[in-house]
Amino acid sequence: MLGVLARIPLFLAYRRFGWPQLLPLNITISPSPKCNSRCLTCNIWMKRENELSLDEWEKVLASLGTTPYWFTISGGEPLMYPGIVELAQLVYKYNKPGIINIPTNAILTSGPARVRRILETCPDTQLVINLSLDGVGQKHDLIRGVPGNFEKFEERLAQYYELRDEFPNLTVGIHSVISVFSVNHLDELIDYADESAADQFITEIAEPRIELDTVGLPITPEPEDYARAIDRLMDYVESKQFKGLAKITEAFRMEYYKLVKQILDEEEQTIDCYAGWASAQIYADGTVWPCCVRADNLGNLRESNYDFRKIWFGDAIKQVRRSIANKECHCPLANAAYTNMLHDIPTLARVGTKVIKPDAITGNKSTKITENRSA
Amino acid sequence: MSFNWLNRFQQEMNKPADYAEKTLAAYKLGMKAKGSIAGVQIRIDPDGCEQCRTLDPDAIYHPDEAPHLPLPHCDRATRCQCVYRPVMTYQIQDET
Repeated sequence: MLGVLARIPLFLAYRRFGWPQLLPLNITISPSPKCNSRCLTCNIWMKRENELSLDEWEKVLASLGTTPYWFTISGGEPLMYPGIVELAQLVYKYNKPGIINIPTNAILTSGPARVRRILETCPDTQLVINLSLDGVGQKHDLIRGVPGNFEKFEERLAQYYELRDEFPNLTVGIHSVISVFSVNHLDELIDYADESAADQFITEIAEPRIELDTVGLPITPEPEDYARAIDRLMDYVESKQFKGLAKITEAFRMEYYKLVKQILDEEEQTIDCYAGWASAQIYADGTVWPCCVRADNLGNLRESNYDFRKIWFGDAIKQVRRSIANKECHCPLANAAYTNMLHDIPTLARVGTKVIKPDAITGNKSTKITENRSA
Repeated sequence: MSFNWLNRFQQEMNKPADYAEKTLAAYKLGMKAKGSIAGVQIRIDPDGCEQCRTLDPDAIYHPDEAPHLPLPHCDRATRCQCVYRPVMTYQIQDET
């Protein structure tokens, strides 16, 4: 983590002056769009791609080196990907990231066994498994389009808790998408998460993304509806007590929630976006994107001898970087937003102040969510 | 609606050669697999070719019956700014 902090001034310079050239510290890879959910807020599951093979992924990951600190293996449903264990092992072998994050819809019964195999072979990275929950009971099933999904979610959650007891490098989280379909029952989700033994409860706003084929769909809550819901969540977080690393991560989460409100209100890139400099995504067919919202085709790794550097330091990306730097886009994409906040000095100052102040982000009620683990 | 910039951004993207086949095949699969997709609409470029301006902007097509983009004699070819959009069942229900 200290290595990440040390690189902040370098990324600031990279974005501003184009030098020094750096590989991203936050990489999302999505090996397959296939998914067994039928969410109202996502259409990626309909797509079929000429997916990279594991041999091809190995070459790509080898070209990335150990610069990326945060790896997300996304989907579709990542645990449905037949080579998910081997892919995670390749990430561990070549990239040695501090964190591997895998979101899951918690449907597959084989999910925990696959995660166990990853944990057994990747002991020196923090593995974060975030289980999607968009409603309690039938509300979840309705939004995710799968009858019985909530029941399966609860089964998997219990199984991941058992794994967590065995593997100290496993973090189990609950992740909710706040959409027009869920914004009015966020309170129920907060209460559910509070009663759970999850290590973290995180939310992300539903937004149009080219990756998900949701451009133009009315899935994003109105700003005032989102603000009302997220203020409730922020009040909840403020009422809790956090220690150690959890205090820092919760301070960033509070900043993220405020940032989303600001972006919805102002409809502009309110802090500099580092997608295309510090964060990137590699899609199933080997196309490199700055992010999944714009999904600009920066180049395909199959046509670049599987060398990520050829694309990242090539010519096609320059025009996209100019567009992002000129604030031609704005979005609250969480994965990019946390990287952006890390490179925003005012945000860092506010987080630092909150963490240092003894009464900041503390309250008189203990939390089950974030005190289960301080890291 | 939030993030309107993305509508224009997507329209201005260069289309790959298999844009129509791939997009419509995905929607067809979505309908077959009982997703919440009800059909496909074409968001028409207001400054587009004569042909696209004859299309009905409110028409909802089955993926098998949707016109292929770019339209056959579109002078912008892969720079055609008409795009497919999935139509979801909840959008239709909201309208009725």
